[in-house]
Amino acid sequence: MSSRNDNVVVRSLAQIGACGLFLITILAAIPRSFRHGRETVRQIWFVGAMSLTIVMTCGLFVGMVLGLQLYDVLSIFGGTSATGTVVAIAIYRELGPVVTALLFAGRAGTSVTAEIGLMRATDQLDAMEMMAVDPIAYVAAPRFLAGVVALPLLGLVFCAMGVFGGHLVGVTWLGIDNGTFWSNMTATVDIHKDIVNGVLLKSFAFGIVVSLIAVFQGYTTPPTSEGVAYATTRTVVASSIAILALDFVLTSFLI
Amino acid sequence: MTDDAIVRIRGLTTVLNGKTIFDSLDLDIPRGKVTAIMGPSGTGKTTLLKHITGQMRGDAGSVELDGLNVPELSREKLFELRERIGYLFQNSALLTDFDVFENVAFPLRQHTKLPEELIRNIVLNKLQAVGLRGAARLMPTELSGGMARRVALARAIVFDPALILYDEPFVGLDPIALNQVLLLIRTLNETLGITSVLVAHELAAVQKVADHVYLIANGKVVAQGDPATLANDGSPWTAQFFGGEADGPVPFQYPAGDYASALGFPGGKA
Repeated sequence: MSSRNDNVVVRSLAQIGACGLFLITILAAIPRSFRHGRETVRQIWFVGAMSLTIVMTCGLFVGMVLGLQLYDVLSIFGGTSATGTVVAIAIYRELGPVVTALLFAGRAGTSVTAEIGLMRATDQLDAMEMMAVDPIAYVAAPRFLAGVVALPLLGLVFCAMGVFGGHLVGVTWLGIDNGTFWSNMTATVDIHKDIVNGVLLKSFAFGIVVSLIAVFQGYTTPPTSEGVAYATTRTVVASSIAILALDFVLTSFLI
Repeated sequence: MTDDAIVRIRGLTTVLNGKTIFDSLDLDIPRGKVTAIMGPSGTGKTTLLKHITGQMRGDAGSVELDGLNVPELSREKLFELRERIGYLFQNSALLTDFDVFENVAFPLRQHTKLPEELIRNIVLNKLQAVGLRGAARLMPTELSGGMARRVALARAIVFDPALILYDEPFVGLDPIALNQVLLLIRTLNETLGITSVLVAHELAAVQKVADHVYLIANGKVVAQGDPATLANDGSPWTAQFFGGEADGPVPFQYPAGDYASALGFPGGKA
């Protein structure tokens, strides 16, 4: 039993090590991947623009439910005028980047893993190697870059929709004064601490982690249908754990 | 052994997962000829092609391609070398995001800055050669197996390579498509002087197209020669392989322990 646990630990550490080496390989290939600029733009469209619907919808509902819950709790203390502030801070600092990254891992990360895994299973990556085209520079690096660029932008969209959702419930539905909602929020929210550090920096870090995991899992998947299925699942599981753990670490440094 | 060999393999030894794939293998691929590599399944024929292209490295020995020792080449040098090699994958390996035209144009776009008009002319020329100019705008999913194989062939010859490696080019083809591929291999060899190496099991097809045949088994070359005489050279290997015998030097059973013991009968060998 102990040796089985040891094996799991050793395998996990080996995976993390291999993932780290893969990151170095991708970073080294990024200058060469600039030759394939069109491919990077295509991937930004695919993982970014195509994720907008789910990110906007979820952002709206998260903001709405947050507005509803906070109004309910704050009304006990007569502090409903702070609803906008608390909705905004909760979304900017935590929910925005974290939920966007989780959605991104489920929507875009899995499709990147499955796509690269199927390319591996159908010899497309080997065919590129044989045509003297480096698949790390042509396939892996553009998808990695696309995730790193797209996630912070998606995080901003999620936050905007979340605040809009909070406003929709708090002001339009529950009757909080519109001026109070916005003025309290703008007086409290700090651009650097909440937007730059809260949304952009965290989303950038999550973008690196999720994209790396998705590309790595696809690139190293066994070339079978079962292998691709497992790799896709591992992308979601590993990304989710990494996002939440990294969020704690980043928050402890940024707060 | 051949004096004018484009590929020269000496003492190649490869062990994969404890199994010896090649055991000090010596083999020459003559320049400008069609050479067939044959042998029982799992004997390492595709692995041999991967050694020639540098996708795999052996544990010992040398693989020389045009005088360059492939396992010692840097990645950059290897990529330069591969621009002179065409490789036809068993499953065609077309890029599924691109249509037929873009698949064939892919190597040109990646390695040259040719004007679009010239790329178009080269691609249409290659597609015409394989009889698929009319399918230029079809996606890979819309192609039959034989058509996909021919598109992959057009892509493999887009740079007019010195050497083309075909990995099981006849598998799953109907007789018409098989003959078309046969004809293409022979025509490319004769008109462009391309050296061809093909891994295949289809004896009749190999006899039609190949100038020289190597029969590989147990990690070594067990027989070689021109296809017409090789089938009747009297060796037990060729007799079994070309005669399609179930048992012989290549055993029917995968190595295993005593059968009676495996079934739990008393008296079985331990």
